[in-house]
Amino acid sequence: MNIVVLVKQVPSTDNVKIDEKTGTMIRSELESEMNPLDMYAVEEAVRIKEKETGTKITVISMGPLSAEYAIKEAISMGCDEGVLLTDRRYAGADTRATAYTLSQFLKGKEFDLIFAGERATDGETGQVGPMVATLLGIPVLTYVNKIIEITKSAIKVQRAIEGGNEVIQTTLPSLITVVKEINDPRLPNLENKLRAKKSKIHTITNEELKIEEDKIGLKGSPTRVVKVFYPKISRQGEKITIKTPQEAVSKIKNFIKEKGVI
Amino acid sequence: MKQTHTGVWTIAEIEDGSINPVSYELLAWGKGLSERLKVELTSIVLTNKIKDIESLIHYGADKVYYVENDKLEHFYPDTYTNILQQMVEEMKPEIILASATTKGRTLMPCLAASLKTGLTADCTDFEIEEETRRLIQIRPAIGGNVMAKIKTMTNPQMATVRPKSKLPLPKDESRTGEIIKKEFNEEMYQSRYEWINYKRDESIEQPLQQSDVIIAGGKGIRKQENFKYLKEIAERLNGAVGATRAVVDMGWIDYSHQIGLSGKTVSPKLYIAVGISGAVQHIAGMSTSKYIISINKDPEAPIFKVSDLGIVGDATEIVPLLLKELKQGDKK
Amino acid sequence: MKEYNKVTSKIVEKIKKILKNENLLIYQDEENLKSYSNDESGGEYYAHMPELVIKPETKEQISEIVKLCNEENIPITPRGAGSGLAGANIPIYGGIVISLERLNKIIEIDAKNLVAVVEPGVVTNDLCRIVSEKGLYYAGYPMSVETSFIGGNVATNAGGSKVIKYGNTGHHILGLEVVMPDGEIIEYGGKRRKDSSGYNLLHLFIGSEGTLGIFTKIYVNLIPQPGKVVDLLVPFESIEKAIENVAPLMRETKVLPSAIEFIDKESIKYTSKYTGMKLPYQDEVESYLIIQYEGNNLREIEDIYEKSGLTLQKNGAKDVFIADNRTNSEKIWRMRRNWLESLKAIDPYVPTGDVVVPTSKIPEIMAYINEVSKEYKVDIPVAGHAGDGNLHPAPLKPSKVSPEEWKELSEEILGKIAIKAAKMGGAISGEHGIGFIKKELLKQTKEKEYTRMKEIKKILDPNNIMNPGKLF
Repeated sequence: MNIVVLVKQVPSTDNVKIDEKTGTMIRSELESEMNPLDMYAVEEAVRIKEKETGTKITVISMGPLSAEYAIKEAISMGCDEGVLLTDRRYAGADTRATAYTLSQFLKGKEFDLIFAGERATDGETGQVGPMVATLLGIPVLTYVNKIIEITKSAIKVQRAIEGGNEVIQTTLPSLITVVKEINDPRLPNLENKLRAKKSKIHTITNEELKIEEDKIGLKGSPTRVVKVFYPKISRQGEKITIKTPQEAVSKIKNFIKEKGVI
Repeated sequence: MKQTHTGVWTIAEIEDGSINPVSYELLAWGKGLSERLKVELTSIVLTNKIKDIESLIHYGADKVYYVENDKLEHFYPDTYTNILQQMVEEMKPEIILASATTKGRTLMPCLAASLKTGLTADCTDFEIEEETRRLIQIRPAIGGNVMAKIKTMTNPQMATVRPKSKLPLPKDESRTGEIIKKEFNEEMYQSRYEWINYKRDESIEQPLQQSDVIIAGGKGIRKQENFKYLKEIAERLNGAVGATRAVVDMGWIDYSHQIGLSGKTVSPKLYIAVGISGAVQHIAGMSTSKYIISINKDPEAPIFKVSDLGIVGDATEIVPLLLKELKQGDKK
Repeated sequence: MKEYNKVTSKIVEKIKKILKNENLLIYQDEENLKSYSNDESGGEYYAHMPELVIKPETKEQISEIVKLCNEENIPITPRGAGSGLAGANIPIYGGIVISLERLNKIIEIDAKNLVAVVEPGVVTNDLCRIVSEKGLYYAGYPMSVETSFIGGNVATNAGGSKVIKYGNTGHHILGLEVVMPDGEIIEYGGKRRKDSSGYNLLHLFIGSEGTLGIFTKIYVNLIPQPGKVVDLLVPFESIEKAIENVAPLMRETKVLPSAIEFIDKESIKYTSKYTGMKLPYQDEVESYLIIQYEGNNLREIEDIYEKSGLTLQKNGAKDVFIADNRTNSEKIWRMRRNWLESLKAIDPYVPTGDVVVPTSKIPEIMAYINEVSKEYKVDIPVAGHAGDGNLHPAPLKPSKVSPEEWKELSEEILGKIAIKAAKMGGAISGEHGIGFIKKELLKQTKEKEYTRMKEIKKILDPNNIMNPGKLF
């Protein structure tokens, strides 16, 4: 079986600061890592490989050269090889341009299953997976929390949807996005870490993919961030510095009573 | 720019024939936008059966297009995408909104990819750009630390909207509007998916989103054990317990209690934020609550900006006392 | 035993005048007083009610109140976050608890001198976080970092997981402002890293557990923040193998880890149940080491874990798991950090021992703990700091034993282990302190030193009003 896992490199901190004037991230010592939610996609792929001999897992990412590291994290969990789509012209891509680039690379390649995380912890859109599937013309199963059965031509999964679980099946090849509950990703061991470190990541630029420039990067992105700002939400509320906890409790009780909320 | 597309669409969600209230929330958003743009607001319904379809008009739609077919009983991304793609290409709306539910967040990327247009996920607010009439889509960005205004350069402009980010408009049964059935030939309903079953899972029932009162804890409660006070207070107020991402990450409480961008959005009647500083990520999940009370030691904590009553004080001193008084109240 | 005077309403009136704010004290309110009657050492077992709790806001208030108590012969118990594990802030003679919770300001972060000046009631983790925003690092890291106060850390000379590289709390303290038992305010040390002018009295106060005075200001040393960390989770088939690795690891890699933690099979069983997480090989191995390294960049980190991992494998590790991102690091440390909590889920008042031995003696003391466990038919999970030979055996109450019996029995069990540790060249407390629970053990194992300690105490606090009943 041929499996593809899509991963993304994300900043490894929650405290990304923004320059409000330019709307860009202040990259002071910004560390990055594989999107934590992609670990579940990688783990699920590796588990299939452990059951099905002859399975090959290819990790694919689009991003700057430094995203090699995220791919190597995936390899250290048991994937076989890595491909990085990297080109200065890919920079600034939104979900559509990203999905388009990924799908152009995948078109014509042999694969049975594509795995992706539910969403990335930086953008939090969760759109690239379903978009890639649509552009490749294959079915997509989102929010999968359990793979029930895979046969030669079909896959049956359980999806975590509002208020419960849905069991549904579709044909292969297809794209699966997984949620946290699906598994407990393994810690990579030294042997796999060293293998990943030595492994050569295939970098592919647009010289090779030859996608029209108006379909990639910022140019190919239908959505634009026009402004980034720290929200100034205000409720003309009352702020009291209390002298005793008792005072606080009285204030709270009065407020509740006054507004009649309970 | 020449106006090629016109009108605002919202995609209604139907569950077993009933309209999911998120559909009315979408209409509230859509109404504001369509009035600004002076265009029609249309609700789109794909279902196998429906009752009370007029309610969409009562909640603000000017028009409803509905497609009714047995094959639409379950959400199959390919069928839904094909039908909607055809409708959009035929009628050319300028804006399409869907809820950021598991269905909306699956359908919309598929549809946007097919329509070769852009899509913005999980919006919490919208504006219309004065000069261009373009839709400004507002959502938390970059781990929820900041908000981003996003504009789509192509048509239609598509977005998913956080459930509970706006209350539905009051129901107005005197409103009238057109309800039009759309029909397609059978091959449009063919799907590569096959639904097997659905099981409700009581354990993932979200009392959080149904509660009128939520008391939520952040790092300022200092230790895991202090959640017991919040739990007891919640019980006494018939409410539920929420938490910030930070304390969930530390393992103090389960993920199901997480409120915020990466957790749940809630809008109870009363939200009590205890020891929560108010990161944008968290505020995104609770700012639509009717009343907000917050307790925090730091007078500069951003949570105070969204609070109706802000108490600068040590949560670990106040909360046990609050519980004690509630208990005494019980005895009386 | 010394007799103390009661806190009369006349005294309370005087204190109210000093504090000028009635809200800074708790009097005759049983429920509220109760939360100042114990710490984390054994819950209700060791609790004693204070007569009065005050929460002063300035050092002057503390000074005047201490003076008053000294004149009126009223015992004082200074208190931090109440997260202590030896009973040092339990008011065993009643009297007044001085809680430092309102002295919680970070007064200054002096980046030019790499010093932070803080009040004792600052939560240690808050200090760590705030200095890290400036690219600086406070290297103290007790396991209770999220709840304990820096003042309490100094008073117990708290340790934690980073002691092997950075030393315990005392290593990071440059100065202290102390309200002495007679009410005088004295500053020892300050913003200086060297001082050979006379006796080093500063370090007399570090680990003094509130018996010599009350801290009102603390000067802490800051260092540059490490750029990146990597954590290794290393399972071993035997405890010996795990411990035998510690010294060679440092010799062969020539790198000092920032942590080498130890956790035994028994402990994993409980933490796994509590956290719902599973560690690789958890049913097959006897123990794990958690090893943390710090480096400036990715390359450095990769070199370190490669060198270290290969050494560990060569020396008998079953496997070596590498966590070099936040998610995986968190996974490993969650098991270690939740150790005590997961035992508390079984027995809310689980007592935790705190013995220290020369590192090479860990297998020997572990074997002894095993013997005691069998002899008393009591489960004793153990976790601790393998890098510095500091272990925490935590006997779990068998269901048949009554709480009253258990208090005695657990003290006997931990006492036996502690004395054995001392005989191996170790000590009966590594980082939790003596409080009042271990004072008999202190007397037994450090006889001559104990006498001199007592003499010092007598000189500085002749009326024995400052945290009486602790240490001695």
